[in-house]
Amino acid sequence: MLRSLVVFLLLTTAAAADTADGEALKAMTWDEIVEQARGGTVNWFMWGGADNINAYVSDYVAAVLKRDHDITLNRVPITDAAEVVNLVLTEKEAGITDSGSVDLIWINGENFRSMKQADLAFCGYTDLLPNNALVNWDNPAIANDFGVPVDGCEVPWNTVQFAFAHDSATLPDPPQDMAALIDWIKANPGRFTYPAPPDFTGSVFVRHVFYHAAGGPDALLGPFDQATFDVVAARTWAILNEIEPFLWRGGATYPTTITQLNELFANGEVAFTFNYDPAQFGIAVQAGIYPDTVRSFGLTDGTIGNTNYTLIPFNSPNKAAAMVVQNVLLSGEAQLEKARTEVWGAAPAIEITRTTPEVQAGFAAIKGHPSVVPSEELARAALPELQADWLVAIEEGWKANVGN
Amino acid sequence: MLAPALLVLGGLFLTGLGLSLLRSFRYIPALGLTDPDLGAYAAVLTAPGFLTSLGLSLWIATASTLIASTLALGAALLLRQTFTGRAIISFLFQINLTIPHVVGAVGILYLVSQSGSFARLAHAGGLIGAPSEFPPLTHDPFAIGIILTYVWKEVPFIGLILLASLQSIRPEHEAAARSLGANRWQVFRHVLLPLLMPALAAASALVFAFAFGAYEIPLILGAHAPEALPVAAWRSFTAIDLATRPQAHAMAIVIALIGAVLLALYARVALRKGGRDAV
Repeated sequence: MLRSLVVFLLLTTAAAADTADGEALKAMTWDEIVEQARGGTVNWFMWGGADNINAYVSDYVAAVLKRDHDITLNRVPITDAAEVVNLVLTEKEAGITDSGSVDLIWINGENFRSMKQADLAFCGYTDLLPNNALVNWDNPAIANDFGVPVDGCEVPWNTVQFAFAHDSATLPDPPQDMAALIDWIKANPGRFTYPAPPDFTGSVFVRHVFYHAAGGPDALLGPFDQATFDVVAARTWAILNEIEPFLWRGGATYPTTITQLNELFANGEVAFTFNYDPAQFGIAVQAGIYPDTVRSFGLTDGTIGNTNYTLIPFNSPNKAAAMVVQNVLLSGEAQLEKARTEVWGAAPAIEITRTTPEVQAGFAAIKGHPSVVPSEELARAALPELQADWLVAIEEGWKANVGN
Repeated sequence: MLAPALLVLGGLFLTGLGLSLLRSFRYIPALGLTDPDLGAYAAVLTAPGFLTSLGLSLWIATASTLIASTLALGAALLLRQTFTGRAIISFLFQINLTIPHVVGAVGILYLVSQSGSFARLAHAGGLIGAPSEFPPLTHDPFAIGIILTYVWKEVPFIGLILLASLQSIRPEHEAAARSLGANRWQVFRHVLLPLLMPALAAASALVFAFAFGAYEIPLILGAHAPEALPVAAWRSFTAIDLATRPQAHAMAIVIALIGAVLLALYARVALRKGGRDAV
């Protein structure tokens, strides 16, 4: 009995072809890759902090993959993509070059830069995906991930833009730009705070203040510049230190995670929360965590937007199957499904005009959640992300000058 | 029989420690670092927040260990008596041994944070008007929430070890002391406590080492600054810049070293003192 089980297991593992050799895959046609991918298992390491996103991946995406391609999708929840960077790096150090444990990562920004910095990404294959044609690579916000060229090392999945949320029942007219927000904070002691960087969301809030201090992002784009940084940073720390006594708990402490800020907001302790993905506000309202009267808004001087991606590590043994997963994620149908308010409400990473008429009609029919500011409205004043070196300098500087 | 244990210790723990040591000396070929040096240690030890982080970690570990040991000693002595309902009280006393630390920390958060159950009760009772009027017990400068969690979790742990130790102490010792005119306090101070000392020292040393080196509870309940040392190490391990990885390993080694030195000192003092008193 045991022996037959072992034989069975050996046979089933052997049935799924090992596709660790990325160069061999690049020489194949898409149909051959799809054939290679059949029966494979993809370990997808992704942030697991939102139930609706988890359900979309585990239910919808996994079902499509099983049905159409006989691929098993294994979602591995993590709290921070930096953990996976460490994992793949450790594997590389240990000489594991063709049997890594990670097949796909949901990633962007600094973690993508780390993966590129240490040569941990599988690159140069994205043209092979048929649905790559739906992606507008001429858009610099897609072709660059936080200022770092994508170079065919990752595939876009969602676009997001930062927005604030407030409760319209208690605060009908929120401030409309950064200067007004700073004045509001000083006029309403204890009613505002932001998560301490390096929390992802807290860090982006500080960057908005940084842009404000710089009079806009134009002088900050491009490679890191110490002289510019010193001038703008001094102004930024002055602003943040000036508002500190008016923050929650008198600024003696800051929340350490965006989750903690969301709880403060849900409890009515602070008047605002904010998120890189405004769809989260609608989800929280649907879940009964926030009141129905929550509304969200951007700033007239703009809020920061970015694109997030999926990436295949250099040592994934299931590259073919991981590529098929990426192709499915990019499809008009999958992008439409996750754009639905009740599913996720995530803005697509593809050009809707390049999809089929049915998909386009689907997108047109989506009714936004009243708590979620429409992405078109936000997009009217969108700010780019800075290169990772700026992020590092701002986070370090905040810690030394504000959060000490 | 020893082989499996040695395999785990040598194969996993010591190899891991060795790799961490190598990396702390800035030797990570995968990142192009091939010339070992002590740069990471210099950077860690001279970093501005290091001493305050060390102070915070020592405070958390010392306060948690002292409070938990005292309460556990009292509880063990009480539970040793025969009384009605003792079985059920003993059961309740030990029930949280199975609950993970992280779950405990989240529970503490729900109970004592400014929007937690106690704050809500206080609000319902008219004691406070807003969440901010409830004293900050989590994410606070004195790490009260963290210490509370450790005390809650470790009292039964130390208590269980003390109860086991108490069972091996024959009642004749106490009876002899009583017959020689010792009062209850003197029996406790000069007979029971010295006999219990080795068990108490060992259990409290484990608690100290854990509270000093564990990161999850300070991560959940700690203020943003200063960070407990293990949290700071984790932050630098997951920092944006891969070049800071050696510093993360150096900090982990420093934590392990400080913990080991403190434990060695503690073992010398506590065990010798306990041994002498018992004679």
